[in-house]
Amino acid sequence: MNTSFDLLFEIAWRFASLSLLAIGGINALLPEIHRVVVEVEGWMTSAEFADLFALAQLAPGPNAMVVSLLGWKVAGIAGAFVATIASCGPSSVVCYFAIRGLERLRNGALRGVLQRALAPVAIGLILASGYTLARAADRTAGAVLLTICGATAVAATRVNPIWILAAAALAGVAGVA
Amino acid sequence: MGPEQPEPLPPSPVSRATLFAAFLKIGMLGFGGVMPWARRVLVEERGWLSDREFAELIGMCQVLPGPNVVNLSVILGARWQGAIGSLLALTGILFVPVIAVIVLATFYASVAHSPIARSAIGGASAAAAGLIIGTAFRLIVGARPPMRAVLLAVAVFIAVGIAQAPLLWVLAVAVPFAIAVEWRAAP
Repeated sequence: MNTSFDLLFEIAWRFASLSLLAIGGINALLPEIHRVVVEVEGWMTSAEFADLFALAQLAPGPNAMVVSLLGWKVAGIAGAFVATIASCGPSSVVCYFAIRGLERLRNGALRGVLQRALAPVAIGLILASGYTLARAADRTAGAVLLTICGATAVAATRVNPIWILAAAALAGVAGVA
Repeated sequence: MGPEQPEPLPPSPVSRATLFAAFLKIGMLGFGGVMPWARRVLVEERGWLSDREFAELIGMCQVLPGPNVVNLSVILGARWQGAIGSLLALTGILFVPVIAVIVLATFYASVAHSPIARSAIGGASAAAAGLIIGTAFRLIVGARPPMRAVLLAVAVFIAVGIAQAPLLWVLAVAVPFAIAVEWRAAP
């Protein structure tokens, strides 16, 4: 009991101390998380880390949920929740108060300038993350085709993406990708 | 204060139950990335935000620490239902999917090596990357930004996606530059 509490505390401390550094999301911090979890704490091997990362990409929920899986691997369900709260809690509190501060600027020119300036940066980064994932996923011409179909379906139609994903999974089984 | 006083807010259009349901849907469907689903649910299905508002909010989330979509839940939850709303949205997008992810993880090892599962996952992953790319195009078209904003988005894409420059450095250059440009262009 005592050791498992110590372990949960260690998980909480490790992930909470990274939370406020995660500007641009958790992916920017993956090398540092890998260093702490694999090399410093020795909680798992590098291969196990890579497996959990791949699973977090596939699973529902934000990809940041890789942190929950790392906590689960180390200390079960309690570890998953402690890791999730520790990694997202501090940043969420900062976000909550930062945005309340910004809401006060409701009619201010600064608020409009900030919003107009940050929107294109966000769009460029979303495009970059899609491109990076496509580079990793598209090892064949068929896979490239599936990426193009997915992009076109979202950009040009209102079809529910769940059907696009299901069709692509079937195409994969049929040997397209 | 005085003239800078915010206008009184209209009553919240979003109840706690619909807020939770929307973010739960985004969280549970976010295979291969939550961003396409966040835009789909918030902009297309619920009509709570325009493409432009969505892109602006994601921009805010980007410069704050923490995962973008987690920050988006905090911001929209707070906007419509205060601190309770933030907690509800976080629970929907984060804590319920955690349980689903753990259930998946338990079975993953036994399924991961089956060839059929691997090819299905391969096909779906390729399409999932496409969903994110399509979402970016949809936002560019929907937000109808001026040409300078399109050029900035392309420059950020090239720096991070193609040149693979470190994200923090790109933000450190692009954000002050964009603010300066918009500041000069402001009426």
